[in-house]
Amino acid sequence: MVEKIDKHILKNGMVLLGEPMEVVESAAFNFMLPMGASLLPDGCCGAGTVIIDWIFRGAGARGSKELCDALDSLGLHRSGGISSSHMTIGAVLEASNLHESLDIYRDVIRSSRLEADQFELSKQLAIDVVKGLDDDPRQKVMLKLREKFYPEPLGRNSLGDIEELEALTVDKAAEIIKMNFNLSQAIFMVAGKYDFSEVVRQAENLFETDESNSIEAPTAIAHENKYTHLPNDGAQVHIGLMTRTVLPGDEDYYNARVAVSVLSGGMSARLFTEVREKRGLCYAVGARYHGLKEAAGIACYAGTTPEKAQETLDVITAEFKRLADGISEEEIQRAKVGLKSTLVLQSESSCSRANGIGSDYYILGRVRSLDEIKEKIEATSVDSVLAFLRKNEFKDFTVVTIGPKEVKVG
Amino acid sequence: MEFKKKELSNGLTIVGEVNKSAKSAAVGFFVKTGARDESNEINGVSHFMEHMLFKGTKKLSALEVNEAFDRTGAQFNAFTSEENTVFYAATLPEYLIEVTNLWIDLMRPELRDEDFNIEKNVIKEEIAMYKDLPNFDVMDKCRHLYFDGDSCGNSILGSEESIDNMTAEQMRNYFSNRYAPNNMVLACVGDFDWERLCSQAQSPCGKWENQQVSRELNQSAGSGKCERVENQNLNREHICLMSQGVSAQDPRRFAAVLLSAIIGDDVGSRYFWELVDKALAETAVMQFGAMDGTGVFYSYVQCSNENSAKVLDIIRGIFQSVGKDGISGDELKKAKNKILSALVIKNEVPMGRLIDLGFNWTYLKQYRTIADDVNAIRAVTIDDIHSLIEEFNLCNFTQLSLGPAASKE
Repeated sequence: MVEKIDKHILKNGMVLLGEPMEVVESAAFNFMLPMGASLLPDGCCGAGTVIIDWIFRGAGARGSKELCDALDSLGLHRSGGISSSHMTIGAVLEASNLHESLDIYRDVIRSSRLEADQFELSKQLAIDVVKGLDDDPRQKVMLKLREKFYPEPLGRNSLGDIEELEALTVDKAAEIIKMNFNLSQAIFMVAGKYDFSEVVRQAENLFETDESNSIEAPTAIAHENKYTHLPNDGAQVHIGLMTRTVLPGDEDYYNARVAVSVLSGGMSARLFTEVREKRGLCYAVGARYHGLKEAAGIACYAGTTPEKAQETLDVITAEFKRLADGISEEEIQRAKVGLKSTLVLQSESSCSRANGIGSDYYILGRVRSLDEIKEKIEATSVDSVLAFLRKNEFKDFTVVTIGPKEVKVG
Repeated sequence: MEFKKKELSNGLTIVGEVNKSAKSAAVGFFVKTGARDESNEINGVSHFMEHMLFKGTKKLSALEVNEAFDRTGAQFNAFTSEENTVFYAATLPEYLIEVTNLWIDLMRPELRDEDFNIEKNVIKEEIAMYKDLPNFDVMDKCRHLYFDGDSCGNSILGSEESIDNMTAEQMRNYFSNRYAPNNMVLACVGDFDWERLCSQAQSPCGKWENQQVSRELNQSAGSGKCERVENQNLNREHICLMSQGVSAQDPRRFAAVLLSAIIGDDVGSRYFWELVDKALAETAVMQFGAMDGTGVFYSYVQCSNENSAKVLDIIRGIFQSVGKDGISGDELKKAKNKILSALVIKNEVPMGRLIDLGFNWTYLKQYRTIADDVNAIRAVTIDDIHSLIEEFNLCNFTQLSLGPAASKE
């Protein structure tokens, strides 16, 4: 696999990244702005979902309708979201429309109209989304889990809560935008079919601003929240659990990834085999690595009917702990081939590449090539994974359940 | 891209689209069977059957099946709908033959009693899981209400009762009737060797016995009923509307897709401007679902209980206005751009392409290039959309809502 990463840094510090892909006709792009939930003022952590909607309600010369029409006319499929560290807005589209789209995104980022009546609508929608979360316990349990697991404010629920959203004012939201739409700390990435020198030239015109302020990373405070239960009279108990592990930049990162893959990579992995195949406890069960720049964990979800909830949790935690007792060569080989194959399959999609290079750059300060990742996965072994597991024992689980019955956490 | 096709003497069709510039390949079996092909007594058997296929063959245990897939690093899974059961895998080219051979083996499963009994628990957990997902639950219930006794309205998962009462023997009978080679398509896309694929499939698949397989096709106009199911545990109103559309075989399906995008795409549509932009509903989307011999326009809306009456009035207003005044050229142009770019992006990845290739053969016995579909979408005119609206009045919908007791909001 031969690949290259394009990179250019604007005078104001904004980073431009690109990964060209030969056989596609699409391009996917994202802007990562330092407006993640953990960087917002206390009491405003739902502001991100309000702002991400509000900024598209009219920008530059275009009103709300004209802006939406202009984006639709380019056949562009928008994406966006709020993570712990960033607000990301972007799209995937036919490559020939990239240039025109970036002009429009310039307006959205730099001269959104931010009208007060439109703010109220964005705020109402954000409140309704939080209310709707109660009807989606599977999503809610994982949001709550991150909040309880990560040191405060890293795991903040980016949707916020209703009281905070109701208290959010138009002035406060505008102030947050002014502060956090800081292009000197923004990352732009594009993947697919594009001309990088053209992208750079355009970005110099559109995004070369004078910025002096800087967004500081928050001080994270660990909290002791072993178990949280949210009563809900649904059909299942939704279980989320998370345990600490090494950061994405750690030398043991790939050992951690292979270990998680042995636990939950494919259908022959341990959780699926022990929890679902042998015992029929669940339909959905799975674990994955979840890493921020400052902290990382392995997060696991399972949904099961109330009478099976305790056994499900017990079997899952036992499997986490049993991993350090021994792993077969076969299991390691399956885990490695699974990770490498996923990597290649994702590399065919401009969307996944655009996301991949941006988060790499933010977390590691550079973009890893697919070859490098493959080599690092290849270099792991039974011994290296076991040594990692013994050094970084899976313990001290943070557990959250939503459902009609509580569980006992050992 | 090169299209390939071969039909075995027992009726199994193998179709392929070779694309040597792809980095991966995708392979799948498309079995023309689903919930609509079930009697009430065995409701849920198609989906249960899909699970049981992974439980192994005479020679392979369930764990060995999973290990064999995972050794290749393939991303593999299956899904069951009202009328199709699809088994698929995306893989690196060097593992394609191994993965295909595995699927071929699994298409003749052992269906052991012991596995059947354990898997019943997993199916019942899946039924419980969907009860906690009202956005799925409302669609399932609404489909049942719309088809009103027709088997197209059968629940895909079945009920706890139908699953409890089902026997392994009933499943074996269902299997031998429906998993016949003349009712299946083997499809493959991406970087692979066509001749090798066929020579691998020829001998084992050639032994499968064909059957008389049929499906009753009724074009249903829907019951037009309106029901609300109260659930104390819910916070929001979940509303599903369904009305008649064209079938998967009907050339007007492209116009139907465009019409649903004009009315209910997640951004820039009529629903978007009237409901979401005004913060009356947090979700409001319409999709067109083409089926074998029939078709349905689905709307899904999530809003507060107190807004629900207003939201429904607005939707009726949109349907009436579309019926009376039609759509604008600008709306059609935007919908085309969105649908066309989605089509191109989806088909860039072999796994995305596999689904279109397999379903085009299942429904149409036809190979359609991406360009064929692009041209068909480009060719749709305003008049095409208007005559569709005239024939299929959107106002004649069946409605099902799930929501809290009225006092909760």
